[in-house]
Amino acid sequence: MTKAFQFIDVVKTYPDFKLGPLNFELAPGIVLGYIGPNGSGKTTTLHALVGLIKVDRGQMEIFGRKNDPNKIDWKFDIGYVGDVHVFYEGWSGAKNLKFLSQFYPDWSDKRVTELAQRFNVPLNKKAKELSGGNRVKLALISALAHSPKLLLLDEPTSGLDPVVRSEVLDVLFEILEDGERAIFYSTHILSDINRLADELAFLDNGQIVLRTAKDDLTENWRKISFRLNEPVTKFEAVVNHRQEGTDHQVISANYQITLRQLSELGAENIQENRMTIDEIAVQILKGGKDVAAVKG
Amino acid sequence: MLLNLTDISNEPLQSQISRQIRAKILAGELKAGTSLPSIRLLARDQHVSVITVQRAYEALMREELIHSRRGKGFFVSEIAQKEKKELAKQRLRENLELPVKAAMAEGLSSKEIHESVDFVIKEKIK
Repeated sequence: MTKAFQFIDVVKTYPDFKLGPLNFELAPGIVLGYIGPNGSGKTTTLHALVGLIKVDRGQMEIFGRKNDPNKIDWKFDIGYVGDVHVFYEGWSGAKNLKFLSQFYPDWSDKRVTELAQRFNVPLNKKAKELSGGNRVKLALISALAHSPKLLLLDEPTSGLDPVVRSEVLDVLFEILEDGERAIFYSTHILSDINRLADELAFLDNGQIVLRTAKDDLTENWRKISFRLNEPVTKFEAVVNHRQEGTDHQVISANYQITLRQLSELGAENIQENRMTIDEIAVQILKGGKDVAAVKG
Repeated sequence: MLLNLTDISNEPLQSQISRQIRAKILAGELKAGTSLPSIRLLARDQHVSVITVQRAYEALMREELIHSRRGKGFFVSEIAQKEKKELAKQRLRENLELPVKAAMAEGLSSKEIHESVDFVIKEKIK
């Protein structure tokens, strides 16, 4: 099956930062959450993919087509909501959209009207007079009006109030019902994506340290406490360990492996709890490559 | 289909989904032959990811509570009354494991645990 996108050995270097080498891909119909702290390279990744920056090496494909900035065919397949929303500020929202529509063969004015009503955006207002929330909504409308097969979102809900956020998420869930569409959703706020995402990629300091199905994370990671009299130097699959006397508490990236070891060691009073995706993400991003190694 | 899902639970979303559909099937609310919503429709409706629903359906298929027909979607399977009881018991045993273990760790005997179960049935569920 053709990939929604593919990064092959992509590297971008700045004087104080290096992104990559990135090698990853996204299948159609999948929502991939791109999770990382500020400054980890999320926006740079998106800029590279949509051709806003030139990379040092490697290549990127969108539905099998190279993202050549001199061609436009690959752009018809994507909808991009970037970190800044660029409009003609003196024009109304409607005029901005009309202007964009001429670049997309599949643009639908009907879809624009429908989304504007749902989002309750005043399209007659000048772009510069729109609130932050309405600017995001206008950006989303312009990214969705041509029903792209791949939606690229850079922290689209940051700065939105909870009601608007949920309206945006409603629309994203709707888009997914048609199984061909893929979403690449970059954020540092896990709660935005914890229901929506099928898979998560964790980015730390320019490197993807872990790529996994979201449900595997919540299934495999556990907080385990137990009592153990013997001193033990290494617990298996464990990324974090606390001890008070003979009481231990560990965070395991694979609870079955840890529990098996604990039972062999004769640990007592073993209790395990599941962890939220936020708790797990903190451990992964704090631990970086080491955690990825434990998991592997 | 109405499901009641929560993020504030130790139970993962996929188990919440499979448990609630299982309960509807075992209680006879969803009859044999009834079609289930498509994976994508349920995902949209419940605001969960497609893979989450897919895994919940896979679990129910493994238990032979539902089956899929190519191109037609998912349907509730025919389940004998006896088998339903057996499945319900199996679930109960799984659910009891944690509280029973905890009670034993706190020093209760098997007899005392049984008495407590009887008490719950009598006093709490009316």
